[in-house]
Amino acid sequence: MERNPNKFWNPYLAGVALGIVLLASFLVMGNGLGASGASLRAGIAALDLVAPGHVAGTPPLARAAESGHVSWLVFEILGVLLGGFVAAYTSGRLKKEVLKGPRIGTGARVALALAGGVLMGIAAKMTRGCTSGQALSGGALLSVGSWAFMFSVFGGGYALAWFLRREWR
Amino acid sequence: MTEHILPILPAHELGLVIAVLIGFGFGFVLERAGFGRAPKLAAQFYGNDMTVFKVMFSAIVTAMLGLVLASTLGLTSFEVVADHAASATFLVPMVAGGFLLGAGFIMSGYCPGTSFVAMASGKLDGLYTVLGVIVGQVAWAELEWRPAFAKFHNAGSLGNYYLWELFHLPAQAGPVIVALAVTAMAVGCFLGAEKLEKVLAGRSDPAAQATPAGRPGRLVFAGFGAVVLVGFAGLAVPSGSQAGTREVASIGQVDLARRVFDEPWKLRVIDVRSLEACAAKRIPGSECVPAARLGTLGLADTEPSRDIVLVAAEDLSEIPAPAAAYPGRVYALQGGWKGWEAFALSAPTPPAPGAPVAELDQYKLRAGIRAAMTGMKAAPPPPAPTAAPSGPRKVGGGCSG
Repeated sequence: MERNPNKFWNPYLAGVALGIVLLASFLVMGNGLGASGASLRAGIAALDLVAPGHVAGTPPLARAAESGHVSWLVFEILGVLLGGFVAAYTSGRLKKEVLKGPRIGTGARVALALAGGVLMGIAAKMTRGCTSGQALSGGALLSVGSWAFMFSVFGGGYALAWFLRREWR
Repeated sequence: MTEHILPILPAHELGLVIAVLIGFGFGFVLERAGFGRAPKLAAQFYGNDMTVFKVMFSAIVTAMLGLVLASTLGLTSFEVVADHAASATFLVPMVAGGFLLGAGFIMSGYCPGTSFVAMASGKLDGLYTVLGVIVGQVAWAELEWRPAFAKFHNAGSLGNYYLWELFHLPAQAGPVIVALAVTAMAVGCFLGAEKLEKVLAGRSDPAAQATPAGRPGRLVFAGFGAVVLVGFAGLAVPSGSQAGTREVASIGQVDLARRVFDEPWKLRVIDVRSLEACAAKRIPGSECVPAARLGTLGLADTEPSRDIVLVAAEDLSEIPAPAAAYPGRVYALQGGWKGWEAFALSAPTPPAPGAPVAELDQYKLRAGIRAAMTGMKAAPPPPAPTAAPSGPRKVGGGCSG
């Protein structure tokens, strides 16, 4: 297979492929795709190491720690990591690096990545799912909350884009 | 759930194996679409590379149409899958959280799912985003249940609420109509996105690469467009099944008990047994309307704001026509009154010592239901409608028949 790091799938075909994966998940598991459930479980595991017993006393964490659906998401994300790794390797994009625009330093970029991650973590817990679970899966199921969420995500991104142009442009 | 063959719902362990396979497909496609690279994702918000929008929207349309097709073929039910897989709507935190997530997206260059893909392909910015997401989630989990935050976290609660309900479309055809409309809108937006990319090309960033539709893209447009035309043509042909019988959707006893406790205002329980039987004993809050008199309720012209549950003596083989004409959801209680009596009004046998937690929970739930149901003092039944009016009659939101 020819490796060309600058070649991506046609976006519409990639979308159809992603839709088929999502459809398979609906029809086999009765669930959509997700991501933030798995990271929450990772946080719970870390918290358990630092402060044993704390999770059991915090209802939202205790619920996630015992949820069978969240366990499913953990395994699904293991698959995502594997799939992402194989796809990156076979396309020549597997490389240890920091991706950023030309006008920003590595330190600032990493700090923004971390801060953006924290905001998204808060948001994903607030909205009962992130872009994968809420927008993609819930959107395909025509859930009102998911569509409201989706428009808000694009709204939030466009609202801040101008202020952060130095990070990307 | 009625006897659809899908979703399969495999056992937990097998499900975990399937999870890895589905996840593999998810991660692989995301990477190949370019979603493991922050600059490509962030470009969405600068106008000259709309990959994120194109991929996401065509994925949504594909999965949605697939599910509509599977429901039309009778393999599954759109609504059953949606109720199983979608989370309930909490409008306020979802809109607020959406803006916050959008802000985090443009800062980090990823969303939580794509940050995993970036991490797997060696991108350190992806790794830091993943760490940030974990911290943020735990932080909000610490706060969300505390009184000061719980009100916000649960504000705008609408339960499982779908676009076809928002637009007051009938439960049967609603998902199909909305799905076709969304598909038509998607094709329009795709054409617009192509145009926008051309106009903005190289304006804010000479190095930015657009992602033109090309021939494969045009094929996808044509496919989606054809589905819309065929679908609307199919809907326009009168099916005749509208007024006749419709498939019996049943509701289990546990589900009904839960709903009677949690949200009785969203429910209209109609006891279609004889008046005497209903007057003697019935589910709290239910109306006594013998099956022969259902027509007098004028359900066809009633606002579909509540789900109707029909309670017969035993299982219903079909939903009676007057109830089937109701534009909202109509369920038959599984096992009818007999099943309910056995479930809710008789004492469950306590589990043996050392029984698994699941069984204990089940017992607690049943014992609780029984205590509540038998302890509830039965109010006298509402008077049955005396004379059948000639035409269908509007019924207000009240509880009397």
